[in-house]
Amino acid sequence: MTAALLELRGLTGGYPPVSVFRDVNLTIKPGEHVGFFGPNGHGKTTLLKTIAGVLDPWDGGIYFEGNRLNAEGAMQARVSHNLNYDLFRKRRIKARDVVDAGLIYVMQGNLLFPEMTVEEVLDIAPRAARGRPGVGQMRRQIHDLFPRLRERWQSKVRYLSGGERQMVSIAVGLLAMPRLLMLDEPTLGLSPKLRIELSQAVQNIRETGVPLIIVDQNVEFLTSLVDRLILFDHGTVTREIPAENMPDHAQLMEMMFGGAH
Amino acid sequence: MAFDTFMFILMSGILLGGLYALMATGLAVVWTTLGVFNFAHGAFVTLGAYVAWQVTQPVAGGFGFMIAVLMSVTVMFCLGFVLHFALIKPFERNQNVVLLAVISTLAAASIIENGVLLTWGPRDKQITPPIGSRINFFGASINAFDFVILAVALLALFALALFLRRTTMGRTLRAAAQNREAAELMGLDVPRLFAITLGISAATAALAGIFVGSLRFINPSFGADPLMKSLIVVILGGVARFTSPIYAAFVVGIAESFSAYFLGLYWSPALLFAMMIAVLLIKPEGLFGHRSKTL
Repeated sequence: MTAALLELRGLTGGYPPVSVFRDVNLTIKPGEHVGFFGPNGHGKTTLLKTIAGVLDPWDGGIYFEGNRLNAEGAMQARVSHNLNYDLFRKRRIKARDVVDAGLIYVMQGNLLFPEMTVEEVLDIAPRAARGRPGVGQMRRQIHDLFPRLRERWQSKVRYLSGGERQMVSIAVGLLAMPRLLMLDEPTLGLSPKLRIELSQAVQNIRETGVPLIIVDQNVEFLTSLVDRLILFDHGTVTREIPAENMPDHAQLMEMMFGGAH
Repeated sequence: MAFDTFMFILMSGILLGGLYALMATGLAVVWTTLGVFNFAHGAFVTLGAYVAWQVTQPVAGGFGFMIAVLMSVTVMFCLGFVLHFALIKPFERNQNVVLLAVISTLAAASIIENGVLLTWGPRDKQITPPIGSRINFFGASINAFDFVILAVALLALFALALFLRRTTMGRTLRAAAQNREAAELMGLDVPRLFAITLGISAATAALAGIFVGSLRFINPSFGADPLMKSLIVVILGGVARFTSPIYAAFVVGIAESFSAYFLGLYWSPALLFAMMIAVLLIKPEGLFGHRSKTL
């Protein structure tokens, strides 16, 4: 077996009792940058949240660098309506184990810690690195990647604009010294100007060699940054498109919905 | 009213305020971080005072006041840390966690209170204050130890604020309080941080308990009054900032001591509750803050 960085085998999950994605099989090789594209509400974020350990997977396996992150076997269906039923149920994946492994998830529209300053947030972020080397260098790099943050160093996250907040979120992810970084809709709610700025920053992150998974609704943003595009529809992977024939917006819409949009 | 009487009442109000600030901050920190109300806070006050009293007794070695304070604070920190895993952690995934925590902390309060009753008996005890002298303060004769209590209480709160703002550990505590999910995705051990918060809260409660116990008498159920007062303080001040309950504590302390003089001791709780109801009607988010809770 080739050494996969992240491998999903028959992963199923959702918000019980509603299943959101089913039987997702996916392999991400080291050094690869992968984009996820699909309509809203079809399970991209739920999939990432499950991989990150926020939600319990129902069935299947999540393997990171060959190690299984979630518990073996399928999740038992709820057998009792007792209110305390959940108290005795074990979590099937722990967010801390995922972070320990170096798989870092940057949440969508993350509010982060509204009452903390940028400086304070970036001060505690390297805790997630668990002693992986290079934090000091990464700190310096953050200043170059997001020059805008230096001006807002002492502002509370609450007072930052959406773009600045997104930059802090990504910086937090980077300071964890990720072995794979998952960005969930980084351009959500950003102005075109900010989107270009963010795109440049992500391009720079790419060049530092951190493998990326990017979920986004913006086709141009996504296709300019990834090596492989994965179309995600109705809760499962429907198609994988390699870099050679990366589609533009119109072609992608044609592929997904079979018509002009 | 003579000026020296006024000063005396004011000073005793400020002293009460300092004690309430210490107790209410412990309660507010747990409320803002864990998101539950700790009804065992009064029992922590009681137990803290009893542990300190025990340490000063000849049976336990007859240690001095300082050692007693350190021992009691340490013991209560550990107890608070452990109790998080017994009282709140098991229920945190239940959607009714706030209600369940009310019941579990009330149960703990009852168990601790009766444990104290069984261990130390129902008779009143007093922790001997280390300083007995009185000083003249603007004509009013005031215990020198009162000033020490006030200074130590404020210093402890200041140290706690510094810990939360300046140290990485304190910052991770605030992070876990403000956004639990994001803190978990940062790899922070949130249950441990919450346990530390409850430990800190119990330690401040113990400190307050020792001070109350060296001013007045302690008995197994004396924690009920501090709990009620802290509750009033937290509601009155709100939890928008770390300092909100501290200001409110001084308002409550001074109001209480003046009402005790002018209206009589039995009316001061009525006045405090009337203030609380008025605040809940007019500015439910608390006198000192806006609609948010932070650490």
